[in-house]
Amino acid sequence: MESTQFKTQLKKQIVEFLNLLSVNPEDIKDDEPLFGEGLGLDSIDSIELIVLLNREYGIVIEDPKEGRKILVDINTMADYIEKNRTK
Amino acid sequence: MFYIHQSSCISPQQTFHDVDLNKLHEPADRKLLAIEPRYDGIPPGILRRMGKAVRMGVGAAMPLLQNNPTSDGIIVATVNGGKEDCVKFMNQIIDYNEGLLTPINFVQSTPNAVAAQIGLLTKNHGYNITHSQLGLAFEYAMIDAGMMINENPLSSFLLGAVDDISLFNYNIEEKSGCHKMETISNKNLYTTNSPGHIAGEAASMFLVNGNETGAIVKVQAVETLHTTDESIMKEKLFGFIKKYLPAGEKMDVLLTGENGDNRLLKYYSCCESLMDNDVTIARFKHMCGEYPTATSMGLWLCCDILQKQTIPEHMIKKAAVKTGYKNVLIYNNYNSIQHSFILVSIT
Repeated sequence: MESTQFKTQLKKQIVEFLNLLSVNPEDIKDDEPLFGEGLGLDSIDSIELIVLLNREYGIVIEDPKEGRKILVDINTMADYIEKNRTK
Repeated sequence: MFYIHQSSCISPQQTFHDVDLNKLHEPADRKLLAIEPRYDGIPPGILRRMGKAVRMGVGAAMPLLQNNPTSDGIIVATVNGGKEDCVKFMNQIIDYNEGLLTPINFVQSTPNAVAAQIGLLTKNHGYNITHSQLGLAFEYAMIDAGMMINENPLSSFLLGAVDDISLFNYNIEEKSGCHKMETISNKNLYTTNSPGHIAGEAASMFLVNGNETGAIVKVQAVETLHTTDESIMKEKLFGFIKKYLPAGEKMDVLLTGENGDNRLLKYYSCCESLMDNDVTIARFKHMCGEYPTATSMGLWLCCDILQKQTIPEHMIKKAAVKTGYKNVLIYNNYNSIQHSFILVSIT
C-alpha cells in the first residue's frame, strides 16, 4: 500500500476507534499534533491508540514513554507502523 | 417527603426543548427511541466517550445542576445504564484473548457511570449514589432522597432515572417474551389485547428539596410492594390512599403505567376499581415504552399535568369533569411482581 493511501486508512481508523464525532478523516493533516493543540486528544486516547496498534498491526508497546514518541502525528505513527507491523 | 422545583426529560417524545406533548411520536423498528438533543452543555471530548444511557442522563441533568450548582448530591436510578459498554468490554476480553483492552468501555461498564459523570462534569462532590433494583429502582431513589431531606431539611438533590435500549437488554427481553410480537403503533398500544410491551427509553431528572416556596409539586409518599396477587396489591393501595391523601381532599388523576401487556391488565383494573367516578384515568407508556425506571417519566408527566392543569388527549383513558387537578396517584407494575404507588400534589 502506498504511503499516502496508508495514512488515509490510518486516519479513518483513528476517527472510528476514538469516536471522533465531529472530525472528518480527510481534515487531519499528516503533521498535525495528535495531542494537545491540533487534534486535541488526551491521555485516555493514547491508551486507545496503543490498543489500536496492537489489534490492527500486531505492535506491542510495553513502555508508555515509547508510545509518546510514536503517537506524535500521523507521519510518525505511519512510519513506526510500517517498520514494526507484524500483520 | 419532598418538593420538586425543576424537572427535565429526554424521551421518545418532544419533552426536552420546546415541550410538545400533544404530538405523539411513534416507534421505529418496534422500539420507542429517545429524541436526543445536541447536548451542547457536554464537552465534545467527553461526549464522544459516553454510552447512550450516560449521554441521556447527563444531558437531562446538566440544565438542572447548572442552574443549581449548590446541590448536595446526586441520586440516580438506572437498571440498564452501562450494560452496553459492559457487554462490549466483556466481548473484548473474549475477542482479544484477555489481551490489551480499551479503558473507555470498562470505565462506563457499570450503572453508576451516569451519576459519576454528572458529578464529575458539574464538580459536585456530594452524596453520589445509584439505585438499580429493577422495576423499583427509581422508587428507591425517591425514598433515598426523601430520607436524606428528612435528615437535613435544608439540603437539595438531583434525583433522576435513566434507562436505554441497548442491543444486549433488548435481545434478552425479546427472547424472554417481554415484547409484543406484532409491529404496532403506540397509538394502538392499549387495544391490542396481546402479551408484551413496546421497549422504550428515557432520562428524567428532578431538582428536589424540602422547601415548599417556588416548588412545582410535592411528592407526598412513595410505597413499593412485591406480590403477584392483585388482591394483596389492592388492599395495600387502599391503605396507601387512606394514609397519605390529605384529609378532606380527593384524588383527581390516576396516572398508570399500563403498557399494553394483557397479562398485567388485572393489576391496573384492580387499581382503577379503587377510584371514584370523578377521577380522571390517564396512561403514559405509549409515550416512552416500557423500561425498568419508567415511573420517572410518569413523575415528569405528572409535574407537567399539575403545572399546566391539562392532560394531553392521547393519555386519557377515562375523562372526568374537573375544575382542576390537585392530587395525582401514579401506579406502576413491573413484570407482574413489582408495584409502586406515588402520591403527588400541587403545592
